[in-house]
Amino acid sequence: MKKTTIHFALTAATLALTAGLAFAGSDTKVALVPGGPHPYFAAWEQAGLDAVKDFGIGAGDYRVPQKWELSQQSQLLESLLTQGYNSFLIFPGDAVGTSPVVQELVDNGGQALALAGCLKDPTPALFCMGTDTGNSAYLGTKELIKAMGGKGKIAHFTGFLVDPNTQLRIDAVQKAADETNGAVTVMQVIADIDAPQPAEEKINAFLAANAAGVDGIVTTAWVPAVTAANSLRKIGDKRIKMVGIDHDEVVIKAIKDGFVSGTMLQNPYGQGYIGSYVLDKLRSGCTIKADAPWKSNALTVKFVDSGTVYVDATQADTYVDAMRGISKTLLASMDKDFLACK
Amino acid sequence: MTPSDITHTSDAMPVAAGRQSLVQRLAFSSEFGLVLLIALAVVIFASTLPGFTSPFSLFTIGRQIGIDTMIGLAMMAVIVTGGLDLSVGAIGVCSAMAFGWMMESAGVPLALGVPLAVLFGAGLGFLNGAIVVRSGVHSFIITLASMSIFFGVMIFLSQAQAFRTMPPEVLGFGKLRFGGLLSALLVFSLVVCAALSALYRFTSLGRQMLAAGANPRAAEISGVRTGRIFIACHMLTGALAAIAGLMITARTGAAVPSMAGHLGQDWLLPAFLAPVLGGTLLSGGRVAVFGTFLGAALVNIITSGLLLMRVGEFWVQAFLGLMLLAAVLTDRARHKLLQRRGMI
Repeated sequence: MKKTTIHFALTAATLALTAGLAFAGSDTKVALVPGGPHPYFAAWEQAGLDAVKDFGIGAGDYRVPQKWELSQQSQLLESLLTQGYNSFLIFPGDAVGTSPVVQELVDNGGQALALAGCLKDPTPALFCMGTDTGNSAYLGTKELIKAMGGKGKIAHFTGFLVDPNTQLRIDAVQKAADETNGAVTVMQVIADIDAPQPAEEKINAFLAANAAGVDGIVTTAWVPAVTAANSLRKIGDKRIKMVGIDHDEVVIKAIKDGFVSGTMLQNPYGQGYIGSYVLDKLRSGCTIKADAPWKSNALTVKFVDSGTVYVDATQADTYVDAMRGISKTLLASMDKDFLACK
Repeated sequence: MTPSDITHTSDAMPVAAGRQSLVQRLAFSSEFGLVLLIALAVVIFASTLPGFTSPFSLFTIGRQIGIDTMIGLAMMAVIVTGGLDLSVGAIGVCSAMAFGWMMESAGVPLALGVPLAVLFGAGLGFLNGAIVVRSGVHSFIITLASMSIFFGVMIFLSQAQAFRTMPPEVLGFGKLRFGGLLSALLVFSLVVCAALSALYRFTSLGRQMLAAGANPRAAEISGVRTGRIFIACHMLTGALAAIAGLMITARTGAAVPSMAGHLGQDWLLPAFLAPVLGGTLLSGGRVAVFGTFLGAALVNIITSGLLLMRVGEFWVQAFLGLMLLAAVLTDRARHKLLQRRGMI
């Protein structure tokens, strides 16, 4: 069984026990809708299914727009409402452009959370739950700088420019570099490469031209992390330090083998599972507390950090435990700090 | 075929059809077949899928039909010449982004911004048309290149950032519905259909477009300046693509660089499907304006029905591809049939 599958199974079992609740016959039908096909969101599928099983939710279906395109996502969401879904966990195709369709969902009896990426305030979404992407990129870059010995040149490989998180990540990496007073500089940012072909093309071209001049690589999107890890393994260069993102097996193995220093884990499973739980609770009569301890980011003042953790070679075999712990804490926090139930 | 041949024809049937009885003309028209298919699809989906006929469902289907009709009309306007325009998506997005810039950064009033954005689209169409006519290279190659150029320049200038501060009237228009279910975008696209139909049927320019597309040499001999007419067709395509881009902007309340996918390629399938299904001949010289509307309607009704039936989204895309293939083959068969009957 794949490690990620074990991860999901163990996390689900723990969270279900933690929740300690069994709901029967809920009419909540949750649709988990990413912005398009992407490996990051694959964990949402199991999260939705587990939420149905553990909390008795009516449905928890993962529905993927056929393309990473705003109109496709809007069309799918409209169709899902017509199909009877009443609760939506949405990765916004655009921080503003997705709001009108979410408003339509709400106007027609639905409820929605922005998941893994936020909508820009004011927004009809109840709140946003996701990785504090800026903080994750900042912490990852700090770890990279530490691995580089506090000086040198770094390259930043990141995701879609249309992803609301990308600019936050670019700014955060720059901020971490700026704090070294010039000892570390960002020599190049390559964005819009969160797909295999452009990632292969641009990362390999970059390394072919700059392998001797670059001292560190930070990646803040899934596919560039996998591609860069593979490229460093291929050229056999352990001088260039790298901090990746997410838990793809290629990255984890590269950490174990010493080609990558570490990775910033996100929590997609926890997002889908806890998001489904919260929406079901809200449909069951709970409300969101007025004094809920929201965080804020560049897009919204109602943000919940779904957790991030740095994993290096010493934790490469036990990172599942770390994520499970974060999800468990977050689920408990939802009941205690965010939801008011009679 | 000469321009005078077309003067008295419907937009979908050349003059020879005038000799046919009304029943025959109806039976041979692609519109008739489409109406039947649409009726069949609606009956099946309405009777088997709860929610298909809900006001919200009808509103969203209608809104998408409106947008896809406009995209289809944009391609139809250049198919008339026997050519095509792969850059319709790129032009639409560039125009929408230009509109967004005018609204958000330049402070241009809405009433001026809309026509300027449409003119901008027509200008990009002019570039396409002028290069096609001057170079003599097929529009496929020229517009393949211009698609990348337009989109690339737009991404460079905008830094791929969306324009999100729109006047409230823009989003208001996208959400506007009549009688609780009829989208304003659908109504608007029908108005444009009527205007285009009048252009091809009643104006000299429209008839010259059809004549130049049907047989450029004959048209030239008859005094039609085909080069200018082809450029005008590309400009019309650009203007209609810009309108489609503005309609999507009205729907989302933002001008987003990815609204038509990478390089605007996501528009290509609806752009070809609607006019070809509707009866526009790929070889040029013959348009079906309301057929394009019906083609877009059929595609969207079936797509919505399949989504409601929970057919996987990826299968829907495959189905649309099959539909285009079937439409092209039908187009070939219809072309031969019309030739045999001396109708073209």
